[in-house]
Formats: sequence, structure tokens, C-alpha cells
Amino acid sequence: MTRLLDIRNASRRFGGVLAVNDVTAHVDEGELVGLIGPNGAGKTTLFNLISGFTPLSSGTVAFGGRPLAGLTTNQVARLGMSRTFQNLRVFPNMTVFDNVSVGAVGALPQGALGALFGGLSESGRQRSADISRRTWEALEAVGLTQVAGELAANLPYGQRKYLEIARALAMKPRFLILDEPAAGLNDTETRDLAAFIKRLHGQGLTVMLVEHDMTLVMGICQRILVLASGRKIADGTPDAIRNDPAVLEAYLGVDA
Amino acid sequence: MNVSDLTAPGQTPSGLTAPDRRRGWILPALVALAVFVALPAALAAFDRGYFYQIANLALIFVLLSASMHLVTGVAGLLHLGHAAFYGVGAYTAALMTSKLGLGFTVTLPASGLVAAAVAFLVALPTMRLVSIYFAVATLAIGQMLYLVMLNWVEFTKGPNGVIVTKGFELFGFGLSGRIAAYYTVAVVVTLCVVAIGRLSHSYYGNALRSIREDDQCADAMGVRTVRLKMEAFTLSAFFAGVAGALWAHMTGYISPGDFKFSESILILAMVVVGGLGSLPGAVIGALLLILLPEGLRGLGDFRNVMVGLVMFLSILLLPKGLLGEVSALGLVRRQFGAAWRRTAGGEGIGWR
Repeated sequence: MTRLLDIRNASRRFGGVLAVNDVTAHVDEGELVGLIGPNGAGKTTLFNLISGFTPLSSGTVAFGGRPLAGLTTNQVARLGMSRTFQNLRVFPNMTVFDNVSVGAVGALPQGALGALFGGLSESGRQRSADISRRTWEALEAVGLTQVAGELAANLPYGQRKYLEIARALAMKPRFLILDEPAAGLNDTETRDLAAFIKRLHGQGLTVMLVEHDMTLVMGICQRILVLASGRKIADGTPDAIRNDPAVLEAYLGVDA
Repeated sequence: MNVSDLTAPGQTPSGLTAPDRRRGWILPALVALAVFVALPAALAAFDRGYFYQIANLALIFVLLSASMHLVTGVAGLLHLGHAAFYGVGAYTAALMTSKLGLGFTVTLPASGLVAAAVAFLVALPTMRLVSIYFAVATLAIGQMLYLVMLNWVEFTKGPNGVIVTKGFELFGFGLSGRIAAYYTVAVVVTLCVVAIGRLSHSYYGNALRSIREDDQCADAMGVRTVRLKMEAFTLSAFFAGVAGALWAHMTGYISPGDFKFSESILILAMVVVGGLGSLPGAVIGALLLILLPEGLRGLGDFRNVMVGLVMFLSILLLPKGLLGEVSALGLVRRQFGAAWRRTAGGEGIGWR
């Protein structure tokens, strides 16, 4: 297996707070990895370090063998890493189709000249057609083709979650990071989502999910990373994590 | 994966109607007929210079409003200094004519390019600013450019303004008659509005919209946000500069007062009244806010109160504008058959 994401001694300091403290971890190609931890453990910060949202204070992050230091968020995204957000960030005043097309046009940029004169050349028409096809495929993967013309703001909450995932999929990423995908979903919806994530993984996509919902993570992930107070305290299979004394202490506060 | 596997044939996603290719050309054809046949015929029948002036002015403001639509409506950057770039274009045309003796064929593209170059330079430091801070920066830039026009007397002739010695021409052929001037303005404005339409009704336009909606999120989707914001700002300045050249050659005299802050606000009002993010709305807004005060001339100074009232009521009753973005995009998609292919579920949704 090839190493897709390689985090070495990553730290991030916010003023006096070490939000992420000397974390070393990795994700291999084709894995489905969970990242869990109590509130304030540094999950989202680590996530932001990986996706280039926040610069590292020290350490390195490499994606596909390439160090990410100095790259902007959109450059990291175009390397093939796409994400969703903890607090649902769809583009409310755009249609479902247009929302998803942003992921496609992000990965396959169309410039101003392409927009102006693309219709006149074969390659320009091909670019638009590719963006359109990717958008449809992503919409189809999440089952939102029937509402493609609706405004994103008018979708129910559960569908907006899938819309966000479709937008990330339209980039045809190598690595998909889902930030708390089950937040706000009921049990049935969470089960459906778990099955959907498993299906994506089954199609060969490497996935990492940051999650509070333990049943979701334990149920589908092959390997789980546990953060507490900015440090990595465990890394192993769901079974190993379930019985790890350090994890039990971090979550329940019991002396093991 | 294949779209047609999932969507049953003949089913159309809700909220959409399949485009009819033949019917799709009716609206553009009617607009072209009005601009290039009906209106010039009416102008020629009345044959009053004043009517020509109003028609040209309205067209120039249609271009200004459309160019602001690109940066403020689509890319979501609140621009409070747009009139200054209009002024840069007008001064470029006027000074190239009076000092270098160049004609409209050269000054038209030059005005657009100079305005775009100035916009690019001022955009470099300001593009990382967001929301209201960006708006204040553009306000300051507009005021700076206005003060340069007003106070750099040896170059711009200051408050005295510049007399533009040449009217419209094309490669040396004079286009100075009233009807020829009207056609010149109409052709240039139409070409520019079509270009702005291509920019805003495309996947490029979608990327710009995503920056308006949530720029951090757009960034995470691989959209080059800073670069695209600069492009939108620079392109809109280019079109404003072209409008400036039209104005300079049309009136034959320009002065800094034509490009002050209140003009920027007037253009902004056109875009907002018409519908933020809607190109047809920007055109309608410009026509309304130019033609209404002229139509109400009989009321004397009271007409300004009436114009204010119309603006107030339209914002109160139609906060999304006379023709809001959602309906405008739907209209454009239907009329121009923007779907790139006829799939079972996707007719009229994608851009070509």
C-alpha cells in the first residue's frame, strides 16, 4: 500500500494553547480512517492543518509524497484532497447543480478566456462538457439528480449534507475528508450515511472521517486515530481502540 | 456511470422546463430588433438631438451597470468606486485624442486596457480584504482617482475638463452623424454585454458566485479565489473604461464631476434595483434609473423625489430586484439553451 497522507511531528500553537501537539500519523491509499477525540481535542485543527486552511507551527504534512508547506488551500485541493465542513457550508443562493459544478470547475478550471471564447474551440467545449459530466456523476452518486435545479437553500438538512459530499466528489479527489458528517442526523439517516460512505470507500476512494458519533466510526472505519488535548493517544483497529485504557480515560475520565 | 441509468427518460427535474431551441431565439431577436431597428427608426423619425443623447446615455449606463454586475452581483465584491474607472477610461480617450490626435478606433480599446491596468494595480494590495473593508478600500480608490482627475491640472486640465476634439470613427471613416453615433454606441455596448453574459453564465461564472457565497469554502473546492477576484475586478474595470471612451467621444467634453462618488452609487443602485447577480436585471435597472428621471422632467425638481420613491418601493416590495438572480438564470438557461447536451434529467441546467 502506498502512503497517501503523512503527518510528521505536526504542531499548531494558538497563542499559549497547543491545539495540536507533536502528532505523527499517516493514511494509506484505499483506507477508511476515523479521527475521534473529546471536544477540544484538536480534531478540527489537525484537519485544517492537513487541508491547508491553517499553517503548521512545526512539523510536516505530505500528501502523495509531496510536502504541503507553503501551498494555499486551493492548491492542496487541486492535488486531490477534498473536504466537507462541520457546520454545513453549501452555497445557499446557487442551485444544486451549480453548487456541485463548483467542485468540478475547481478541479478542471475554466478561465475568463475559456468562458468568453471556449464555445468556439473544440477543447473549450470539451472542458465545459467534462465539468458538466462530472457534476452529473457526483449528483447521481448521492441521488440528487431530481433536485438539480432547486436552490440549495430550499433543500432539507439531510439532502444538503449529501449536496456537500457531492460537491467534494465532483473534484474526483484521491482523498476525501468528512468533518462530522453525521452531526444533526437521526439514527436512520446516520445508518444510511454509513452505508453510503462504505460504498464510496468500496469504489476505491480513500476516506477519513472526523466524528463524534462513535457507532458510526466504530461501525465502518478500518483504523481509528484518537486525539486528546492535542496529542495522539491511540491508533488502531476499532476493537483495539474500544479496549484501550488511554482512550477510556480520555473519554470517560476513569482511571484504567 | 451514466446519467440515463438513474433518471427515467422523459423525466425533468423539478423547477425546470425543457428548452425549446426554436423559441429560445425569440427573446434575443426581439431585443436586437428593438436596439438596432425599432429604436433607431423612432429616433430618426423624431430627429431630435436630445433623444439621441438620452438613448446613448442609457446604453452607456447599461454597460456600466452590466460591468458592475460582474464584480458586485456575481463575484459579490461591494465596489464603491466603479465610476472612477469609468472616468479613467473617459480621460484616456479624451487625452489620447486631444494630446496625441488619435481616433476612436485606437482610444476605445486603449481606454478599456488603461482602466483595467489601473484596476489591476490597485487590486493587488486590496484583494485580500473582505466584505466591508474591501468596500471602504474601493471607496478610497475611487476618491483618489477622482482627486487626481480634479487636481492634476497640467495633465487632466482639472475642473475645467477636457474637450474631446473627435467624434466616433472606425479606421478613419467618420461616424459622426447622429444615427451613426447611436449605432456605434449600440454595437459596442451590445458586444460588451454579450461578453459579460458569457462570463457570468458559465462555469467560470459559477466559480465567481461561489466566492460570493463562501470564499473559504470555494478555496477548499480548488477555486483560485484571490486570482478570480482580481480577474472580476479588472474585467469590470475594462468594461467601465470602454463605457468611458463611449461617453467621451459622444459628449465631446468631460470633466471630473461626471465620475464622482454619487455616480458610483447610481450604478450600484441600478444593479441592486435590477437584482444583484442578474445580468438582465442590471440592464433593466440601468434603463429604469436613466429613463425615469428623463420621463419625469415635467415635474421639475420633484422628479428626484419620485425616482427615490420608485427605488425605495422596488427595494421594499422586491428585495431580490425587479428580475432577481434565480429567475434571471432560469430565463437565460431556457432562452439560450445553455444545456450542453440533451440528457434525460439535465436539460437546460449546465452551461455550454
